[in-house]
Parts: sequence; C-alpha cells; structure tokens
Amino acid sequence: MNQTPIASTTEIPHTSSRSPLLIVLLILLIAVFLLSLALGSVAIPLDQIVRVLLGGSASRDSWTQIVLQFRLPKALTGMLAGAALGIGGLQMQTLFRNPLADPYVLGISSGASLGVALIVLSVGTPGVMLLAGVSLFSDLGIALAASLGSALVLALVLLVARRVESSVTLLILGLMFGYGVSAVVSLLLYFSIAQRIQAYVNWTFGSFGAVTWDQMQVFAPAILIGLAIAFLLSKSLNALLLGETYARSMGMNVRRVRRWIIVSTALLAGAVTAFCGPIGFLGIAVPHLCRSLFNTSDHRILIPATILMGGIVAMIADILTQLPGTQLVLPLNAITALIGAPVVIWIILRSRGLKAA
Amino acid sequence: MIKSRLLSVLLIIFIFAALPAIAQEATPAATPASTASATQEASVGCVTNYDPNTDYFPDKVKPEYAKGWTVEYHNSYKVVDVTTPWPGATAKDAFEYVLVECGTPAPSGYDGAEVIQIPSGKVIALGTEYVPQLQELGLLDDLIGVDSVALYSTPEIAQMAAAKKLIEVGSGASVNVEAILDAQPGLVLTFGSGDPTYDTHPVLIKAGVPVVVASDYVEQSPLGQAEWIKFTALFYNKEGEANAIFDQKASAYDDLAKLTSTLSDDQKPLILWNSYSSYGNSWNIPGSESFAAHYIHDAGAKLVLGDDPKLQGNNNTLPFDFEAVYNAGLDAKFWFPGVFGVKTLADLVAQDARYADFNAVKTDQVYNNDARLGAGGGDDYYESGVANPQDVLADLIKIMHPDLVPDHPLVYFRQLPPK
Repeated sequence: MNQTPIASTTEIPHTSSRSPLLIVLLILLIAVFLLSLALGSVAIPLDQIVRVLLGGSASRDSWTQIVLQFRLPKALTGMLAGAALGIGGLQMQTLFRNPLADPYVLGISSGASLGVALIVLSVGTPGVMLLAGVSLFSDLGIALAASLGSALVLALVLLVARRVESSVTLLILGLMFGYGVSAVVSLLLYFSIAQRIQAYVNWTFGSFGAVTWDQMQVFAPAILIGLAIAFLLSKSLNALLLGETYARSMGMNVRRVRRWIIVSTALLAGAVTAFCGPIGFLGIAVPHLCRSLFNTSDHRILIPATILMGGIVAMIADILTQLPGTQLVLPLNAITALIGAPVVIWIILRSRGLKAA
Repeated sequence: MIKSRLLSVLLIIFIFAALPAIAQEATPAATPASTASATQEASVGCVTNYDPNTDYFPDKVKPEYAKGWTVEYHNSYKVVDVTTPWPGATAKDAFEYVLVECGTPAPSGYDGAEVIQIPSGKVIALGTEYVPQLQELGLLDDLIGVDSVALYSTPEIAQMAAAKKLIEVGSGASVNVEAILDAQPGLVLTFGSGDPTYDTHPVLIKAGVPVVVASDYVEQSPLGQAEWIKFTALFYNKEGEANAIFDQKASAYDDLAKLTSTLSDDQKPLILWNSYSSYGNSWNIPGSESFAAHYIHDAGAKLVLGDDPKLQGNNNTLPFDFEAVYNAGLDAKFWFPGVFGVKTLADLVAQDARYADFNAVKTDQVYNNDARLGAGGGDDYYESGVANPQDVLADLIKIMHPDLVPDHPLVYFRQLPPK
C-alpha cells in the first residue's frame, strides 16, 4: 500500500562510501558561488572582484558596491533558498510518500501570496493606510505579509494535523487550503488597478536579488533554523520511509515528528516565498536529483546532499536569468521551470521503468 | 383546465418577451432601424428628410499623431477602422465600424463591419481614459456606466455614482452582460489586449452590444494618445469641438517641446525612469520609441541606459538587471520611479536600502506621478494625464528646467519629501 518509487530499496549502513561525492558537491557549490560573484550584467574584471572580496576596494566605487551589495547577497540568497526549497521538498516527499510533493504542497506559498496580494493590491487605499500608519509596501513589509500569510495557513494545517491520522488527508486538506487562498487572491486581483496587478505579477516571477543585507539578517537565520531541524529529523525521516505503522512500532511519536517536519518546511518555504517570491520546481527537482545521484534514500546522506545540490542549482538558475551579452534579466521562475520540468519528466519516465523492472 | 390555461398564458408571454431578442439575432445588419426606437434620446436629433446628396458631417477629423485608427467620411455615414486594436495586431485583427447617422439608411458593402447608429447617446466606458474625453466633449451626462467606480479619480464619477446615475459592470470575460443589455447603451467603449481571457469585447459582440475597441494605449506618442478624443467625438458628431480641444493641446505641447529643442546635449540632465512594475532584480526601462521616451526627449533629458542597443526601436519597456541600472544610474540627476504606495523618500529607501546610493535620492530629486490620487487609489496621471500631455510635459520641464516654465505649478508629479 505504501509502496512508492522514492521509498526504494537501498539499505542504510554504508554512509561513509558516499562522502567523497558530498565533497565533490561542496567543491562544486563553492565554484558556482564564486562564478555567480564573477558574472553579472556589468563587466567587472576578475582581479577587481578578488580585490573587493579580500576587503579592498575596486578601481571604481560602483564596482565595489555591486560586488558587496548586489552579487554577494544575491549569491548567498540563491544558495540558501535553493537549499531551503530542496530540503522542504525532500521532507514533504518523505512525509507524504509522494514523489511529486513540493514544499508548497501544504498551501504555504498560497498563504504567502495572499499576504503579499493584500499588501500590494490594497496599500494606499484609506482603510489599509489607517491600519498600517507606515509604508507597508517596503520589501520588509512584503516579507512580513508573506510570513504572516504562510504562518496562518501553517497554523490551520497544524491544527488539522493534530486531529487527522492520515497524512494523505492532510495532503488533500493542504491542497484545499491552497485553492481557497488562491481564490481570494484572484478576487483581489479582479478588483485591482492595473499597476498594482503588475507589481503583484512581478513578485510571482521570483527573484534572489531583492534580499539586501538588512533583510539577510532575518532571512539567513530563518533558513538555518529550518535546515537544523531537518538535520535533527533525519533518522525519523528514514523511519517514516518504511511507513507510519512501522515507524510507530519502532517507538516513534509519528504525530510529533510530523509536526516538526511541517514546522521546518513551513519555515523554509515561508522564508523563501517571503523574500524571493514563490519559486517553483526546485523543491520537486532537487531531492530527486540527489536520490538518483547518490542512489540512496537515507536522509543522513540526502539532507546534506540536497542542501548542496539545491544551492548549486539555484545559483546556476540565477546566473542563467541574465541574458548573455545584454543587460536584460529574465524571470527566475521561468528559468527554474526550464531546468525543473525536464527533471520531473525524467523522473516520471524513470520511475515507470523501475516499476516495469 | 386552469393549469393548461396558465401554461398557454405563460407561453404567450414568453414568446412576446423573446421576440425582440429573436428579431435582433436574425437581422444584425439592420440595426439602424431597430435601435432607432430603442434609444429614444438619440432619435431627437435624427435626420427626418434624408437627402443622399447632403453632407451630414460638415465638421471632420483626421488623425495626425494617432496611428491606431482611420476614418473615411461619406455623406451620411463614416467608416472607422481601428487598425491596431492591441500591440502586435495584424490586419485580420483590425475592427471596422460603420457609423450611420440616425434617420439615414445603412450602406451596403461593409459585411464584416459593425454598424453603429450615431449620435450614440448613452455610453458605458470600460477604461479610465475615456472619461476625460467624454467630459471635455460635454458628454458626461450620457455616461451611464463604468467598469468599477473605485478605479476612477475624476471627481464627477464618484458624484454620479453616489447619485445612482452609474452602473458598475466590471470588465473582462466576466463582464456583467445582463446589466449592459438592460441599460441599452448606444455605445460601449473598451480596449483590447488580444487575449480573449482578459478582453471584454468578444463577450459583448456575441451579446449584440454596440461595443467599440478603442485601444488608445497602443499609441507611442503622448499626443497620439490624446488625439483619441477625436475618435470618441466621431460617435457624437462632435468633430468640431474635438478639433478645437485637441489643436489647443497639441500647440501647447509643441510650444513646450520647442523650449527644450535648443538645449545643448550637456544641458540635458541624465534621468532614471523606470516603469511602475519594477521589483527586486528587474527594472523596466522604456524603449527608445516608447511613450515615456517621447516625454523624456521632449522635456530635454537623457534616459539612463537609453543608448542600450536592445532599447533602440523598442516601443515598450524591457526588464534590466538592477545591477546594470545601479551601475548606469548612480549619477542620474533625477529619478522618476513611478511607484505607488510610497509617500516619502524614506518609504522608497525602505523598499531597498541600495536606492539610497542614487545621487537623485541623496539630493532629494525624486519625483513621482501620484500627485492626484482618487479615493479608490486610481492615479489621475493615467486618467486625465492621458488626455493632457501638455500638462505632463510642462511638469517634466518644470522639474528639469524650471527656468523655462517659471509659472507652471506641478500637476501630476510631486517631489517626494525626505520624510
């Protein structure tokens, strides 16, 4: 009954034999990080970038600023967001034993979208101004609204999770919450002014470039806490792979574990959506990439692997948003989907092959 | 017995109620005759003794700046073509309207065209830009409906809505067709995007409503867009008025543009101008043939990134990497961010701390187009500003070359206060 492609056969013991591959990923991560510092729409010579990174200043002031205020926070954001979405997706796929689950499956990103839609589409109208008193339409304001929105949906999901025994029911409820919230967003859009709709649509395109150092002080800790929880959960996640009944028989408190999985995923997906917009596909694709690369379903391997791989893929996607040879930039979500869609297709084809075999 | 009688009575009522609809369905081309009785107000000015040799339209208009429409005058009817109903439209997307003077016969030979009787009488406007046109032509009393009152900043709209003189019908595919049919407008003005999921006109055409796709937004020059007042005037035989109103605006605009035409290249300030929808990494910078670029040129200024090869010949905006904008725009003298929901410079910098590095922010030279906001948040810049390019241009010149227009007070733009 609980047989799915992702909970496949590999046994847990030989952890150490896979660590060389992890080191390769780590080196790759560092390389891509440096690459994303070196590449950008403004051509800055490599030696100047190195000088700035070593604490000096470039021959032009604006170059120093671009490296320190633009490329560094953007690369860090991409790395953290990719890791967060990958881990969120991994946890959801394991919890629901569904290879197509992603970090947003519980309606968390829809909640965030509602928060943002409320701010972007109604700010400036008298009622909201009275409530706010200050400018809500700042990036931190958007992040705050998105966090509140996703926290609201999370609270609902947790409330239901306490009562509901089956994870599948939870999955369906999460989807339903998502639909309900999206409906409210489309109502807001319907009654809104063109400029505002455009601003909202732009948010949905996603971007790693909106996180400045001020916001990084909130963003990075949120992601790191979420990732830490995931690390602590890795043994429980392994147990869940074998089915909730089995996990329970081993003395695991399934409901408590489930709650922590949800909290961790909500924190990860909520923070990313709040600061970068709803970024799709990474959450689905990265865990699958790692599973096939490492040929394991052991979370003690998969979690670090997904973190590294998520960071790599997200930063590469961000590099690709810059049209080569121009100063134009493409929407991040278009790029992640361009990478993500073929991966998902490949997974579907491959898992069918596994079943046939 | 009673039951069957009741049934037959109901049946008769039903048939009678359905007759007009059936008749309309059957003879769509015969509208002049049938709608003549429907819109009684319009029939007041109808021609009684039709003479084929009389020119019923002594006043004529001709688009000089606008490129999206054409008109061809005949004695008792006008053939109007909307050639560019949306950006990228091809010849087969064009709309043809035959405007037939009330009391004269509809011409034959215009099979694909929609026949509309003029003067059109009651009108429903599904876009903010039509209201200033109607107002200036003295036709606001004919306005009986809009898409959504909250979007409008013209004060008369709120007043008319409060007096229950306006219906709200929404827009797009879910437009309230029943309310529109019930109101029996002689004309519905809307604009098209080419995407049937968002457009209003396909639904209304199907319902037999006299809808006209008046996409003034496709014009690339400010005067071209303002000239659409002539288009709206066609439906009310107000060509004389429209010519007078527009000529005055055009000459005011040209006089202003002349003021800056003698400026040398280094007298023209470098300005940062991004469209309202910039967020995060991507900044929308107007192309060299765009609406904004015309204003910037005529106001005697140079656009940051304006010489980028990708922008040449582009009539829209292109998304630029913030890094590139930052690099090129740091020294710009003025910044026109085109944002909403921002009261002060501090609010703007709160969106992104990196904005504080711009020279224009440091010197408080940031101007936004939201000086006139309606109660529902609608920006008059996109409403009466469309009809008054000479005021928008005067604002811009006042900001960048205050000596040239010393007496002009800012209308649509305001300087963002530091706090």
